[in-house]
Amino acid sequence: MNLFKNLYHYRELLKTSVKKDIRGKYKNSFLGVLWSFLNPLLQIGVYALVFPLIMKSSEANYTVFICCGLIPWTFFSQAINRAAFTMVENGNILKKVFFPREILPISVVTSELVNFVISTIIILGFVLGYGFGLTKYVVFYPLVLLVQYILLIGISFFVSSITVYLRDLQHFIGVVLQLLFYATPICYAASVIPSNFQWIMKYNPMSYIITSFRDIFYYQQSPNLQALAIVGCVGLLLCFVGYFIFSKLQKGFAEQL
Amino acid sequence: MKSEKNSIVVTDVYKTFNVYLDKSNTIKESLLSFLKRNRKEKRVVLNGINLKIKKGEAVALIGTNGSGKSTLLKLMTKIIFPNKGRIETHGKLTSLLELGAGFHPDFSGRENIYFNASIFGLTKKEIDKRIDAIIEFSELGSYIDNPVRTYSSGMYMRLAFSVAINVNAEILLVDEILSVGDQHFQEKCLNKMKELRNEGKTMVFVTHSMGQVKELCDRAIWLREGKIEMDGLPEEVITKYLEATT
Repeated sequence: MNLFKNLYHYRELLKTSVKKDIRGKYKNSFLGVLWSFLNPLLQIGVYALVFPLIMKSSEANYTVFICCGLIPWTFFSQAINRAAFTMVENGNILKKVFFPREILPISVVTSELVNFVISTIIILGFVLGYGFGLTKYVVFYPLVLLVQYILLIGISFFVSSITVYLRDLQHFIGVVLQLLFYATPICYAASVIPSNFQWIMKYNPMSYIITSFRDIFYYQQSPNLQALAIVGCVGLLLCFVGYFIFSKLQKGFAEQL
Repeated sequence: MKSEKNSIVVTDVYKTFNVYLDKSNTIKESLLSFLKRNRKEKRVVLNGINLKIKKGEAVALIGTNGSGKSTLLKLMTKIIFPNKGRIETHGKLTSLLELGAGFHPDFSGRENIYFNASIFGLTKKEIDKRIDAIIEFSELGSYIDNPVRTYSSGMYMRLAFSVAINVNAEILLVDEILSVGDQHFQEKCLNKMKELRNEGKTMVFVTHSMGQVKELCDRAIWLREGKIEMDGLPEEVITKYLEATT
């Protein structure tokens, strides 16, 4: 409950740090905010070019297929990578000013969320451009987004607080994320995985989220709501445990940094 | 409710720091450090501090470098926590320990006022109400809409100080910062401090400028090796302190 009280009281800080993050990112680059589109677009281009060459894919339109998986994944991996770094990055403020520390990971995840919502325009562009069209299942988009957000908040509590004490985790996270990238149906459909490896899909919460986004935009069917509900509960559980650990560890932040 | 009149109550506080002689920051280093573990020293910084600061008091903490002044101040802001003992504060607290926290060089001075003030826990409405006073105090005029990276260091500090001083807290913790800007601005700061003191704000200063202590404070506390050596009127404490150190 303390968390919500703090968040409400410091809502302006949350708002300004998200704003600072998003607008500050491209402030001095020539193409500016265009990069938020160009970056994922180029990335999709690379995957759409390389993967059909090395992998036989039965997908009707691999470009749209990869696009629906890659953009939510970028949201996931960026948020975790940056959350792990946020305390070290803001070390000199943490050492000098008191404010609820949980604002930092939450604002990182939130600004990545905003970035993702903006990048959704790319998905829409591809889906409409290739003549897929939109169906009524788009109403599930905010729901999937919410589930992913909760999951990320939970994880960010863990990684942001633990990295302060164990800087190595920062490097480790990069490797884990790369592994997870291949353990999540992003470049391929979950169905192509042989049955003895299906457990990877089953226990990886991100596979449900990616599949749900793909259901909405690519397969144009209802996502598996039951699975989403379970992932949402896992996310909430991670939030509770993560916040508990975070609030224990945060007392030592200023001394460790 | 006996603590109602006290702004800050420090009860029996001990603080030790672990000083890591070789803090490992890479995987290689941390693997190696397993072999030569415990290369750390315990350093006692505060050794049983008991202190009550009444509402409306202006207190100076003096002492040589490393006597624990800044640590005590950080404990009061709840940036760090004591190993033993308790610290209670009553009322909204602002620390002027770090000026310009959260400033982003690419944004305008005006936008940075919002960034900075929000760290102190102000809402948009509260900042809107104060922004004119802040800009006026900073004397930045039309520069306020330029990016902060174009400011001179003096302008930067002036803006930062103006935000911090206008937060309107009941307790102000000030660490060695009344040396901002030129002579004119310093005097202005000093006057503002006096004004706030007369309004009944509680203030705790850490400073080496004995002149400021005499001018601003009605109580001085001399810290020596983590203990309170003397606590009393500024004149008396400073005389004793200067005798001991020179």
